[in-house]
Amino acid sequence: MERVNKVKLILWTILGGSLAVAITRFIFGLGVTTNLSDNSPWGFWIGFDVMGGVALASGGFVIAAFYYIFGKKALYSIVRAAILTAFLGYVSVVIGLLFDLGLPWNIWHMIIYWNPHSPLFEVGWCVMLYLSVLTLEFAPVVLEKYNRIKLLASVHRFLDKIKIPLVILGIMLSTLHQSSLGSLFLAMPYRLHPLWYSPIIPIIFFVSAICLGLMMVMVGSLTSSYLYKKEYEKDILIQISKYSAWILSFYAILRFSDIIIRGAGVFLSTWSWGTFLFWLETLLSIIIPLFTFSIPYSRNKISILYFGALTGVIGIVFNRLNVGGLTHLNNLTEIGTFYFPSWMELVISAGVVSTSILVFFYFIENYKVWDKNPIDLYSIPRTKPLLTSLSACLEAEPNVIRAKLSFAFVIAFGFAFAFISEESIYNEGCEKSPVVRARGGDTLLIDGNRNNYGVSFAHKKHQSVVASCGYCHHLNKPGDKATGCYECHNDMYRQSDAFQHSWHSSSQGANLGCFKCHSWYENKGKNFVFTSDKLTQLCLKCHKDIIPADSRIEYLKTYKTLSYTDAMHNLCIKCHERMFSQDALLRKQNPNLTRCSNCHNEFEHSLKEKKIFVKKEKNQWVVIPSVLQNR
Amino acid sequence: MACKIVNNLAPDKPREWQKNDGLSARNWTSVLHKGSYNVRKQCRHCIEPSCASVCPVGALYKTETGAVVYDKEKCLGCRYCMMACPYGIPRYDWDSPVPYIEKCILCYYNIKNGNIKEPACCSACPTEATIFGERDKLLKEARIRIEKEPEKYLNHIYGEYEVGGTNVIYITHKDCPLDFLYYYNQRVEKGIKLIGQPEINEPLPITTKWAMGAVPSVFVGMGVIMSGTYWIIKRRQQLKKNNEDINLTRDSDGKS
Repeated sequence: MERVNKVKLILWTILGGSLAVAITRFIFGLGVTTNLSDNSPWGFWIGFDVMGGVALASGGFVIAAFYYIFGKKALYSIVRAAILTAFLGYVSVVIGLLFDLGLPWNIWHMIIYWNPHSPLFEVGWCVMLYLSVLTLEFAPVVLEKYNRIKLLASVHRFLDKIKIPLVILGIMLSTLHQSSLGSLFLAMPYRLHPLWYSPIIPIIFFVSAICLGLMMVMVGSLTSSYLYKKEYEKDILIQISKYSAWILSFYAILRFSDIIIRGAGVFLSTWSWGTFLFWLETLLSIIIPLFTFSIPYSRNKISILYFGALTGVIGIVFNRLNVGGLTHLNNLTEIGTFYFPSWMELVISAGVVSTSILVFFYFIENYKVWDKNPIDLYSIPRTKPLLTSLSACLEAEPNVIRAKLSFAFVIAFGFAFAFISEESIYNEGCEKSPVVRARGGDTLLIDGNRNNYGVSFAHKKHQSVVASCGYCHHLNKPGDKATGCYECHNDMYRQSDAFQHSWHSSSQGANLGCFKCHSWYENKGKNFVFTSDKLTQLCLKCHKDIIPADSRIEYLKTYKTLSYTDAMHNLCIKCHERMFSQDALLRKQNPNLTRCSNCHNEFEHSLKEKKIFVKKEKNQWVVIPSVLQNR
Repeated sequence: MACKIVNNLAPDKPREWQKNDGLSARNWTSVLHKGSYNVRKQCRHCIEPSCASVCPVGALYKTETGAVVYDKEKCLGCRYCMMACPYGIPRYDWDSPVPYIEKCILCYYNIKNGNIKEPACCSACPTEATIFGERDKLLKEARIRIEKEPEKYLNHIYGEYEVGGTNVIYITHKDCPLDFLYYYNQRVEKGIKLIGQPEINEPLPITTKWAMGAVPSVFVGMGVIMSGTYWIIKRRQQLKKNNEDINLTRDSDGKS
């Protein structure tokens, strides 16, 4: 029983994490927990939990049809497991839906407010009814355990009598909503990629759901046999694989003939994201499973069979994801942003799945789902656990297992809460930053260390000398060495001093994509390339006219302050030179600013001409205190 | 903006889930800048609205004035309307734990109560760029304006026939066609004729009509087929069993 317990430990851990996320989602809403947006209002929860879940649960009605209606009595031993899987599948669909709906407490409105034109209305009703039918279909398994109670026994007998009508009703309802899930997308011809949008998408959905149901039954049976070290039901599985091979080939023919008849065949060979997704889906959902099911050798080998069935299951769920969002217009073209689920969406989905698997284990261990019950988990004779011994903690003793599971649950719950970023939850959105006219014209007064003493800076002159604005303004790029000041004076230059990288890149700020500024071709965008002339133009595109109003740099009208050159040469350089001569460590590091060539590119040349680097003996500058305050 | 005052909308802050067209849960209309032209974007109030047709509880519905309005008491938040709108208009209160759909309702309740005579945007517009009236009269007015200055206006009334016609119609300058407002024109297969795709002038609700119409017959049909199959197969098995029984008895007879 080692295997099952390991799996249970993982599932309980996921469950703990998802509980924390679930609480966050209901307190703070969809916006901060998901990546859903006005562009892609449906995401992973609809694509996987609802559409994928319903399709995954289709095993119930397919196997029931084969067993009860078509009289394939050989399937007897897996019917109960298939119906249980379907039942839990639908329960998790409903739970998943509750997370996705904005107002989940209004879900019952579908019962009283009717809009029969809506495919979703029909899906909702069918899922509700089918869930009740499944409950009745599965109830005998639970009831037969309590046959001693008279009332329950009579209910059991009654349910057994109406079994066949129930099964037929279940098949009718399943046919309807499996196909109607496809009809949902008939209403959005412009959203869906033409390889998926088809007027017969309901039929395609229905056929693929049958394939998926059969393959899911195989996967479920093999996995649980493996976990409980039960004998594989090989004969049944081979029979099912034959059925699914037939239906899969029918599905493949249907799918491709539909595409070609509609005239969408041209998209099969184009080089685009949509086409790539289509071929990946075809490979997973049709080619690999069909190949493994139809070759006799691989059919007899359990591991290959398992691989084929699992790939097929993934492939058809991938089809649902494609239809449900991946191939929508906003993900394929330039309009809007690409949707990828947030980690919280993924954790919730994983949590819903783990819950249903855990409940599945519960039913298997406590009721007669299989012919032979798995060996009673807790029949191992109990040894008295010693508190001091480590081995007691690793034993398969029920209390210890329960303690371990609860421990994993609680720890995961705590960690997940810790992971949820406070910043995103309490984010209130950006105030639009007020802007004023750009004044980076001639001379600026820069108050770098915020002590209200400024230095004048010949901005225009530097603009013509330096190729990129980023040379001076891009100070807060991590590890940026563009200006040497930042190396030592990180107390002086706040991280967001000259240029707020996060603001420029965020969708709430300037909303510039990475490659608006960073070169894609050079260094794969990892470095800001300063040499390109274009960059100056790029910044100027916006900053010719606008500049944040709260900027600390003032436009200077009088020239009475210390000029930047004077400040550099008389304060900075002097100090740097002194420090450089005294400090051995500094000499080893060799900071940029002590090199004249850092600013004066043609230093060697200038040295010859003796144009610069003439030390002034008398200082000509005057400092105006608190210039900024008086304004 | 007049719209904000009349509809009591809070000021908006840009968030990551908004589209870049200026519309949001708190901005029901916005002005887009296309070159040197300004275009106002808002709900088009289709004659056969896709959003109302797909809403499972009928929270969005068409009123007698032509406005498509929203009943937040009914809504369950499935966001199918946002997916189905051909203009991508409905927006969502993503930051609220109790979120609702938000979109222009053509000031329906205020006009019905007699608070105002025409929608706030129309009464606020000083140059009659946005006007309010009966659809026929507006179409006539649009044609008059186009005929008056044929070199200025594009000879097309947006919303006269698209998606079965809309109640908010546009005319535009020749240099600034308004096709970008409609999702249809941004499709991947632009320019390729595909069977099964609705025409631009077809109302979208017809796409789901055949599927929804087939529902009862499929339901009954499937029931009949399944019961029939069950009966036939059971009968066949019984016959087989009977035959076997007969054979068995014969065998035993022969032996004895």
